[in-house]
Amino acid sequence: MRRLAPILFLLCSSVAAQAQVRSVEVRTPRPFGYFLGDLVRAQVDIVVEPGFALQSASLPHPGAMAYWLDLRDIAVSDASVGDGRRVRLDLTYQNFYAALDARALEIPGFTVTFVSESDRGATTAKAQVPAWSFNISPLREVQPPARAEPQSYMRPDGRVAALDPQPLVLGGAGFAAMALVAFAGLAWDRTWWPFAGRGGRAFALCLRRLRTLFERPDPDAAYGEGLLALHRALDETDGRRVLADDLPTFLARHPAYRTEERGLAAFLDASRHTFFGSGPAAGTRLLAPSDLVSLTRRLAAIERAS
Amino acid sequence: MNDIRSGDAMLTDWREAAGRFERTVRGAVLGQDRAIRLLTIALFARGHVLLEGDVGVGKTTLLRAVARALGGAYERIEGTVDMMPSDLVYHIYLADDGRPRVEPGPVLRQSEDLSIFFFNEINRARPQVHSLLLRLMAERSLTAFNREYRFPNLQVFADRNRVEREETFELPAAARDRFMMEIGLDAPRDAEARRALVFDPRFHDTDALIAGIDSGVLDHAAMAGIGAAIQHGIQASPAIEAYVVGLWEALVRPDEAGIRLPGIDMSALIQGGASPRGVAFLVRAARVRAWLEGRDWLVPEDIRAIFPEVMAHRVFLEPIYEMRRSTIVPELCRAVFDTVPAP
Repeated sequence: MRRLAPILFLLCSSVAAQAQVRSVEVRTPRPFGYFLGDLVRAQVDIVVEPGFALQSASLPHPGAMAYWLDLRDIAVSDASVGDGRRVRLDLTYQNFYAALDARALEIPGFTVTFVSESDRGATTAKAQVPAWSFNISPLREVQPPARAEPQSYMRPDGRVAALDPQPLVLGGAGFAAMALVAFAGLAWDRTWWPFAGRGGRAFALCLRRLRTLFERPDPDAAYGEGLLALHRALDETDGRRVLADDLPTFLARHPAYRTEERGLAAFLDASRHTFFGSGPAAGTRLLAPSDLVSLTRRLAAIERAS
Repeated sequence: MNDIRSGDAMLTDWREAAGRFERTVRGAVLGQDRAIRLLTIALFARGHVLLEGDVGVGKTTLLRAVARALGGAYERIEGTVDMMPSDLVYHIYLADDGRPRVEPGPVLRQSEDLSIFFFNEINRARPQVHSLLLRLMAERSLTAFNREYRFPNLQVFADRNRVEREETFELPAAARDRFMMEIGLDAPRDAEARRALVFDPRFHDTDALIAGIDSGVLDHAAMAGIGAAIQHGIQASPAIEAYVVGLWEALVRPDEAGIRLPGIDMSALIQGGASPRGVAFLVRAARVRAWLEGRDWLVPEDIRAIFPEVMAHRVFLEPIYEMRRSTIVPELCRAVFDTVPAP
């Protein structure tokens, strides 16, 4: 008992130095049965005094640890155990050692640092995670029997169940058809080709015509034709010829256009002066060509909405 | 709206006078604002007018009121089945000395001052009498007592009732065509006007009502001159000319214009009519309407406002459709305006 005391003391003094780190424990699923390319997992539980926190910079960084070993991932979780704190490191290594016989490999240990911050300063404690080893097995025999054909050393390819592409093809075709129908609906709504000639979108067609008209060199003729185009659109919308005095009855039959009453009145007045009064100059004073286009655009928007 | 050119202050003054004239007649004849407006247009367009309507709706009162407000010499005659053309021109009677005398009749009595000749119940007169009217209306002249009488200010107003068919004679097409307008007159629909017409004693005594009208509102002697000034002062753009020609074409050949009426073979509907004279009357009346609206240029609304009254009676339908004329022709007119683009 007298001989054991110094050893105990040494242990105690060592424990006192490590007092802040209570225990370090490494757990692995199994220490054998690994092959080339396998993931090797390990769970390290470190129990420390309360108040100590892991210094994450001291953790090993994912990346190559040795020519045959990569650290793929490291996850840290933290929980309180009794009156201490348990820090759990989930380590995922990948083994690239092409073994020719069954042998033990050692994953090197590392040191992590814990810090306790206080008013008087910071106290650090180091926890040494020990190295641990696992057994690795070869994938093939060292000396295979001689064969005539080198290709016969190759194993046949693994059989994979053929995937059935039909649901995907059908689904793709279905969605393509739906997209086509939706696009056709949009084209119908916007009177794009091939619905450019359909009825019920008189103002939209008129707007398209106006856009091409005002690219022409003769502005007076274009203005006259533009007015005519909007007249025809109004006529088509109402199903009869709409004269300037008919605006109130037109709005009564088509209340959606009531918001554009002022613009329509200006248009009809301008048209009157252009065709029956003193000419396009008087008309453009009342309604500029750009206003004619913007009026038609607003009418087309109302037409689409109603 | 453009104001009439300042140089034409006379036209402006006359427009105000025309407004006063309309207000005066409206004061005596209730609920006939449209007919009064059309009569005013006819007066300034120097056209003859035929009023048509039910019994007792005020045809005669309206024409008397207009004649009174216009002033000028006025003659009136009642159509009867035994009336002869000479009864209009000559007044033949036995004088006190027992000898027959021939003196100027109703048309000639006022000589050349005659401004309104009012033919009441014109459809009761025989076609011979209607024939006499042809020249009087078209040329405003008449030969009698071996000389020619001219009536520069003459306007013929006639009325006939729509209901009576017994002992009446349909006006010949030529006579109808000489009337600028055929205005249909209905009893007023407005409840207020109806109540007043029935209960207000002012409207019971027609003579007093007419006598109460101010007779000097318009200067009847200047009407011909002002009518001509209006015709020269109101401009028609090429677009409106094309529009009128388009209306004319659509009215005469509705099937080619794409007009379809339910239950009617459009290619076999129109027999004829819509004469150039009629279309000229249409433009004359439209110009007056534009002037009354304060414009010096024509717009399609001017044409539309007077089209049925000026054109409807000039369209002659195939006999099979003639009986339904009163429904077909208004529909045709409406369809023409719904079809012909303006501008």
